[in-house]
This record gives sequence, C-alpha cells and structure tokens, in this order.
Amino acid sequence: MKELLKSSYGPTARLKQVHNNIGGAVVTTSTSSVLLQAISSSHPIVSLIKGSILNHVSRFSDCGLFASVFCLSLIEEAGRCDLSQNVIIRVNKHLLSLCTAHLQQEDCGCKVQLDFCSSQSLITLARSVISSKPTCVLSEPESAHISRLAVQAFLLTVPCNIPDKVRLGRTVTIPMEGHSVLESAVFPGLLLDTPENISLGNLCSPLRMVLFSASLAGDLSELGDGRIEVHQGVDTDSQIVDQLLELGKQVLKDEVKLFVCQKVIHPVLQHYLRCNGVIVIERLGISLMEPLIQLTGAQPVATLHTTVPWEAYGEVHVSVRPFGSKTKLHLHPAGKTTICTMILCHRNETMLSELKLVCQKTEHVLRLTLREPCALLGGGCTETHLAAYVRHQSKNDVSESSPVLGCSQTEYLLAGEAFCRSLESVATSLEHDDGASLIDLTHAHHWTLPSDATEEHLEDAAALCGCGVVQSCQNKKWSYLNTEYAEFSPEPLLTASPLQPTVLDSFTAKVNALEVAVETANLVLDVRYVIQDVN
Amino acid sequence: MLEGVVINSRQHVGLQKLSALSGRIRSSVGPFKNYKFIQDESSGDSVLVCSCFRIIENLEPTCAVGQLVYETVRGHHKQYHTGSGCLLFLAGGWSRAALDSLRRGISVKHIITAMSEGIDICLDVCKKFSVSFKDLAVMEKCTAAPGGTKKASTDASIEMANFHDKCLSKSGQRKVKLSRHFCEAKSDMLSTVRHPDQPDMIVIAESLSHGCEKAMKLAVEAAQMLLKTNQQRIRDPLFDISKMLTCLVSGLPEDYACVVEGCILLLSDEQAAAAHVVKQQPLKVALITGDLSQTYRHLGFKSLPGEQCVCEDLDLSVSSKEDEWVDKVVKLLLNLEVKLILTAGLVSQKVIQHCCRHQILVVEKVNSSVLKTIGSSTGAIPVNYATQLTESCVGDGVNVEIWRDLSSYERKSLTAVNISTGRSSGLVTVVVTSCVHGKLQALEDQFWACAYRLYHALKDRALLPGAGGAELLCVHQLQKQAEHDRVKDSKTGSAANLYRGLVLQLMADGLIDYIAAVMVNTGRFTAANARTIVSKQLTEFHRDEISTEKFLQLVSQSKREDAGFSAVKPDEAPALNIYDNLSVKQEAWRKALDLVLLVLQTDAEIITGTGQKNEGNLMLL
Repeated sequence: MKELLKSSYGPTARLKQVHNNIGGAVVTTSTSSVLLQAISSSHPIVSLIKGSILNHVSRFSDCGLFASVFCLSLIEEAGRCDLSQNVIIRVNKHLLSLCTAHLQQEDCGCKVQLDFCSSQSLITLARSVISSKPTCVLSEPESAHISRLAVQAFLLTVPCNIPDKVRLGRTVTIPMEGHSVLESAVFPGLLLDTPENISLGNLCSPLRMVLFSASLAGDLSELGDGRIEVHQGVDTDSQIVDQLLELGKQVLKDEVKLFVCQKVIHPVLQHYLRCNGVIVIERLGISLMEPLIQLTGAQPVATLHTTVPWEAYGEVHVSVRPFGSKTKLHLHPAGKTTICTMILCHRNETMLSELKLVCQKTEHVLRLTLREPCALLGGGCTETHLAAYVRHQSKNDVSESSPVLGCSQTEYLLAGEAFCRSLESVATSLEHDDGASLIDLTHAHHWTLPSDATEEHLEDAAALCGCGVVQSCQNKKWSYLNTEYAEFSPEPLLTASPLQPTVLDSFTAKVNALEVAVETANLVLDVRYVIQDVN
Repeated sequence: MLEGVVINSRQHVGLQKLSALSGRIRSSVGPFKNYKFIQDESSGDSVLVCSCFRIIENLEPTCAVGQLVYETVRGHHKQYHTGSGCLLFLAGGWSRAALDSLRRGISVKHIITAMSEGIDICLDVCKKFSVSFKDLAVMEKCTAAPGGTKKASTDASIEMANFHDKCLSKSGQRKVKLSRHFCEAKSDMLSTVRHPDQPDMIVIAESLSHGCEKAMKLAVEAAQMLLKTNQQRIRDPLFDISKMLTCLVSGLPEDYACVVEGCILLLSDEQAAAAHVVKQQPLKVALITGDLSQTYRHLGFKSLPGEQCVCEDLDLSVSSKEDEWVDKVVKLLLNLEVKLILTAGLVSQKVIQHCCRHQILVVEKVNSSVLKTIGSSTGAIPVNYATQLTESCVGDGVNVEIWRDLSSYERKSLTAVNISTGRSSGLVTVVVTSCVHGKLQALEDQFWACAYRLYHALKDRALLPGAGGAELLCVHQLQKQAEHDRVKDSKTGSAANLYRGLVLQLMADGLIDYIAAVMVNTGRFTAANARTIVSKQLTEFHRDEISTEKFLQLVSQSKREDAGFSAVKPDEAPALNIYDNLSVKQEAWRKALDLVLLVLQTDAEIITGTGQKNEGNLMLL
C-alpha cells in the first residue's frame, strides 16, 4: 500500500488506472481520495488508516497523500528500530507537539505569510495544487491560466461588504469536453443549459422567476409505494395535467418570465408556458439549486397543489452567452454576487474529470487561507526543514525530555531518528525517476538530483531547491537524504531573499495532515490483537 | 486480439498494449484500406469493417488501456469523422518511441518534456506550412490560361521552369482526371458564386478525397446543393453539415448512389399506400418528438405502481383504453386536417392502421434535425404527445413525392418517398446504395468522412500538404532539432539535451513509420522500399535548407517522383496535389500524444469490484 501511494505523490507521480472487475469505466488518477476509496482490504488496520486519511481529505481536500505516506513510513520505521512500542508512541507524540509548536511560531523558517494585497502568492499556491496532478496533462501556460482562473473564482466568492456573519459564495464548475484548456473561463453568476433556439427578444431585465423543487412531470411520485384506488372513468393523468396548467396560468398572471424546475416538467406545461413567452428550464439538478436560490432570492416551491406565494418569486438579469457549440443562459443579479461559474475545458474526458477534481480542491485550499493566511514551502522543503529542526532540538533537550517520557536517552534519540527519517522519506518520494534527494546543510531545504547528473555538475543540475527559494552556490554543503549527517540548526532565510517561492503548500491542511498521520500511526502501533468475527 | 504481439514482461505493459492495439489497424491507414471481418466467438456474428474507428468499436477492448483508447478515438470520431486511424497509428508509433526511450534508461520526466516539445515542433510546422485558401486561389489563377495552350504545355511540363511547374501539373491533371460530372458541375453551379479569394471547391474536394472519389463526388454535390439553397440568405462559403442526411438502400448497385434535395425516407407497404394518396399536394404536417402510442410517457415520468381500478358496475361493452385513445387521436388529426405525421420515436401498429385508413401518412424514427428543419420552414412546432396538438402546432406546405419504388429489388416491398417543403427546406439527402448489405455501413462512413473533410477544410480556410508531406516536414524538423541538440551537447557535455535529441529522433521514427505504412498499403511498395524512398526524400530535405516559399514546390516535385504517396491509381500518371485537413490532423496528433503520455505515467491498475479484492501492479520496471 505504501508503494502504491508513494508512487502517486507529487507532480511527477505515476498514475493509477482504477476500474472494477466487471468492465466498468476506467478512471486514471493520482488523487488520494479516489485511490483510497478504490482500495478495499479485508485487513482492519488498512481500513483504519484508509478511514482516517479519507476523513482528513474530506475536511481539507489537500495533503491526503502526504498524510498517508508519512503515516505508513512512521509505522515501517517503528517496526525497524526495535524499541518498545510504548516508547515510540510517547516520543512521536512529543515530537509532533514540537513540530506543530515550531510551525505555529512567527519566525518559522518554512512558513510564508500570504499577502492578500497581491494575487501572486495565491496564484503560486493554486498552481502548486493544480500542477501536483499529472493526469491533467497541462502545459506551462495552461496551468498558469487555470491557476489564475481558480484564484479569480475564489476572489469572486468572497463577499465585499462584510455583514456580521461572513458567508462565502459558491463556485459552480461546468466541464466541457473537446475544447482547448485555454478556453476555460470564469463568469460571475450562473450559466445554465438552455433549450435550443431561445430568443430573449423583448424581455426586459430583471426578470421575475419561479423555482420548483417538486417534480412537475405529471406523475404522483410523492406518494411513494402506497396504493391508491381509482374509480373507473377517472383519468388521473389528465387531472394532474389540468392541475399543472392551472399552476401555469397563475404563474403567467403573476408575470413570471423564467420558469425553472429541479426535475422534469410535463411537456404540455412546457409547451403552454413557451407559447406564452416564458423561458422554461427543466432538470436543473440538485447541485445547482442552492446557488440559484442564493443568486435570485427565490424560494423553491415543493408542491404543485397550492398557489405560489408572492414571496417565493425571485428576480434575476438574464443574457444569452454562446460557448463553443452550445448556448448558455447567463443569470446574474443586479448587485454583487458571490456565486460564480467556472467553465473548464479539456481535450478528453479522463483529463477533464481530473482537472475538475483538482479545481475543486484548489478552491478549498484557497478558502483555508482565509482561516490562516500563511502557506508552507512546498517541494519537500518543509519536510526536510522539519526533520533537521526536530533532530537538532531532540539532541539539545534529550536530558530533559527523556525522563519526562519515561525512557532512556538512547531510546529517545533512536525514536527521534525514526521520526525524522519518516519525514525525509516523504520528501524523497517526490522523486520517481531514480534521482537522488539531497539536503543542504545550511537552510535544510530539499534538492533533487537527476539520476544521470554527476557530482561535478551538481550546481548545474540542481539550480534551485524544491520550493524555489534557495539558489545553489559553490560553498554549500550537501548530504544525501538517506545517509547520516551531523545535526545542525537550520538557518532562517534572509528576509531580503530575491527569490519568491515557486511551490507552496496549504498550511492548515498540512499541519492537520501531520497530526492525523502521527495519531493514526500511534493508534496502529498500539493495536496488539485483531479479533475477527468470521461469521 | 491483443495476443497477436508477444508482450515482454520486462517492459511497460501499458505502452505495449497501446502499440499492439494500434498494430491491428496498420493495414487500415491511408487511402487504400483493407476490409476486415470481426467475428464474435460466442454468438458467431460477424461484421465487415473498414475504417479504424469501426475496428476499435467492434473490438470492444476490455482492458484499461483499450478503454482509454476507445474513449479517445470515439471522441475524435464524433467531432471530425475522419483521422481516427492517424490518431491511433501515431499513438502506437509514439508509444514504441516511449518504450525505446525507457529501454535506453531515459527517465519518464525527460521523455515527457521532450515529447511535449516534439509535438510543439510538429504543430508549429503544420501551422507554418499550411496552405491558405488565398494561396490556393492564386495558384488556380495561373491555370486560368486558355485551354489549348494548357494542354500543350502539359506535355512539356517536365522541362518547364520550377515556378510554373506546380500550376501546370495541376491544370494538366484536371484535364485528365476530372470526370464528366465534375466538369458539368463546375460550369453551371459554382462559377457564378465564387468568392475572389475562394479556390474551387471541386479542386479542394478532389485533393481531399484520399481514395474515396465516389464518396467525395457525392459530398461535393450535396454541399453545392446546400450552398445553392442557402445562397439567398447568407453569402457564406461554409455549408451547414447538420442539414445533410444519408439514406441507406441495399440491393441497388453502388453506381445508383445519388444526391437528392429534400429528405428521403423508406416506407413500408401500408404507409406507401397512404403516400400514394397524399402525394404531390401541399399537406399539413404535425411533428411529434415522442412515440405515438397510448402507453408512451415522456422521459422522467414515473407511473404509479400501486394504482388500482375500482369498477362500480360491470359494463362489458366498453372498448379498451387503447382503442379509445386511438379514436381520440385520429379524430383530432382529422379535425386539424393533418395529412402527414413525422415522429422521432416509434409508432404503434394500431395507429398506423387507423391513420392509413384515413389517408394520413405516418413516418416513424425520423431524425430530430429533420424535425427541426421542417418545423422551422413550415411553422410547425414539435410536440411531445399527439393529444397536445392544436391549430398553432400544425405546419403547412409540405410535399410528399414517391421518389422511387424499390419493391422490385427486394422481396419485401419498400418505397422511398421524398419529403420536402416548397420553400426549399434546405435538406439534402445522400442515398448510399450497395448490393452487399454489410458494406453499406462502410460506404456511409466513407461519405461522412469526405463530407467532414470538406467541411473542415472550408472552416479552417487552409489545408495541409498531404500524402505524407506534412509528416515528412515534421520528421525533417524533428531530426534537425535532434541534430542541433546533439551538437550542442557535445560542446557543453550536459546530458539533458542528449536525451531530448534521442526522444525527438524516436518520435520522428514514429512518423516515418506512418508514412511507410501508408505507402505499403497502396500495394506498390514493400516496407523496405517505402523506407528507402522516405529517407532519400529526407536527405534531399537536409541537403538544401528549405524555406517556406520553396517548400510547396518541393513537395509537389517529390510527389511526382514517387507517386506512391498519392492516392492516384497507377495508370493515371500525372500526380494529383493531395491535401490534408489542418485542424483534424493537429488535433489527432495532440490526442495521440496525450494518450501516450497518460499511459506512460501509469504504473498500476487497481481493480475494484464486488468480488474478491484484486490489486495488481502492472509496471515491473
């Protein structure tokens, strides 16, 4: 399982094809949420790990693979270092608090404050998330375009005038196959599929609209499986149609110009309304209901048996927007809105579905920055930095900590070493092409060396570290990540560094992933017996 | 099917599968295609297929890679109707290139960067060397010399100066090649409506026919008919392909294929009787989008499972619900004086009988675009249920004509009617005929491929030198870049460039393989022979640096030297200028590479399922 997930980690990851054994559709992906759901295991420990990671992903979207790889290597290292599991668990807990405390500090070397005045760092953050999934097959300009769009969509969902309670809007994603990625776009408001040859003609904006959540198909689906008895000669179908037409008449009387239904509308009613100049949209789908309610202020009507109350009507501006071969109905309110629509285009279905997943993830990650406006250095630099820091700290406080944790100094150091090695192994697994992973001995950043580069060409081969903040220079000392090196305290970066980081990770997601990984590993280590009920 | 190629377990299995799959269509690329039988072992059914898309469709690949391929090819075919073979073949060729690179120890990351760079080079070449319509029109003007001198100079064209060479060969070729039909069409149809910058559609069509001259002839005829009817409205050289229809008739010889204005539909015996009554008079028409039967309900309607009928008194004389419904519908139709009903869905037998009795012609399974067009030209509004029909939904002025009685050719009687509106509805039907029933599908595919090629050419307003010309240029450019990298490499000594050069070289090999396969398929070259010619051509390219202006002439020369590239039959000596679609080819190449890169990066297949857990690592590298 570790090998499987490890090989999916990072922007140069290998992909996995997921499909079921009866010839279902094939999903090509390297996303943790899809992968983990696909893995089914009869072993309870695997299910346990899977469950806790999936829970993390559902809350934070990002860093699922980081958490799983870290958790699995912690377990592996623990098995290797021949210590009592109690000791390891306690040391792990201690070191975790050390890490989180360090990350929360203002002057932490791997933390970057996000500047909301310029979109640059936000775009960098979005881009790191987007480019981490190679299934999307994006070129440089394409991924830049998508990251810009993601940030633009995010900014549109942040309300401008802040009432007492801030409520973020929604981004609705519409995938479109067969167009170039660069044709993707973001619009404020909502775009809906339209029936063909629609003409707005002489409709004046804003239009009054009504929204139904009940099915207007002319059936009695609300009844469920109950039985009804009908007298002969009574035609239930035509009676419902009459009821529907009654509804249509009322709506027309109230000068409604846009008639939207979540489900199916009976063709007779559709025909009647269209003939009277109403735009009819059916089969909206549940996912668009909430944004539409927010956008228009309409209340969804859940029955067709009463008259529609006046308060249920909403108002909206409407325009027609051609997009590719399709025409879309563009709804936008009079004032500002926090609802926006993102149209994603890609050349084929596989890439498009992954792109959609990634964009939703990016949106989530960007939202997390509102809670904590900072990010961590990406490209493995945070991991190596933390490892160096923990190693240094644990050497220094070994005399104080070991009695508190109830273990000998050697045990403490050994367990600490295991912890650091696990962190470093996460950074190492970013490289999939047999390249070597290095750490520099001043800033403790992560460097990768292609497998074919020789020692002399070190400076040429690795000009920048994983996150792009540190430049390589002659007097740096290097060490391979899987070898031993003398502990040192990582130097903080000079604030006047000319280089901006090119890869950033979500702070909130990563800190939580760190905690989830260590706690899950501890729980697994604590398990002694597995009792299985075979019945 | 996949077992045909030995899969070496030490290699990337996914790429091998891709390459094996593309090997299946090796004999189906290019203008000369071989028919294949695909047989279902379990049921014993078999189909005759010709185009690459149909091969993949009928093979129904079950493995993950196969499904990915099918998904891509299907997407491409739906949009372009041509170029699927090129896509699949190159996906195979480039997957072999990737395999080779892996074998030489190049990392996946390097392969991906180098290949993306390679495709950029290729697409760039396509853009740079595409022939715009303006250029084509200019070339044509050269040919507009008086006929007599043209003919004389054709014989001497070999000795002529390079500049005139191309134009003259073109004109000569037209004299020899054009069928009587083409000449006629040109004189009476297109000459009046030609745009100054617009080259002759017939010439374009001919150079795009790629061996399907008959199908292309039909496509041109249909396109011109569409253009003529729409000319009053818009002066747009692009025709509306959605108004083109096909009608398949088996039992007639292939030469009977023709283009007819209006919409040709096949009718059964009963319907034909009604048609004879209503023919040749303006009719009222109703359009129905659903089925015409009592039990039909629209999509999304759930009927009640627990409905029970309670009878208060037993009345045995009451007729069945269906009879009641049919009576109601027929009465309504008679009231509205509707004489023709077109439905997109099915029609119950009872309705057909009743309608025929009242001389109402009912046609089922009509294409929805036909409904739309007829609706917009007659003012009829399509409705879902027959009971919905009102005065305002009924259109007026549709003509039904008996087009041909086909009963004598088949045992069961069959009549074809032409439904058209007086005010030129703008529909054009292409009747595809064949004595062999199994061949109809292939012929229809051929027609659509030609029609779409023409359509995209007019849409792009540019063409790509065909017959391997574009590929050759790309190979040349790729090899130049590879060479450049190698030279730079030996100076600086860094390894990254070396890899790039190697991968680009391998990609070029994939393209060469494609050209060679096309040449072999013509049947006049052995594989070795074809390769020699290609490499000879390439060395010529390398010797003198080609510039854009010189290029066209070079390609046309090359074609004369080895007519094997072209689709012309050997007895017709003067080579034809052959062109390809720009956007279709670019898109096919890009999709092919996307496919290869996706598969290249995949290392495992996770099989989930209802049964036991099954999880296997595919790649053993």
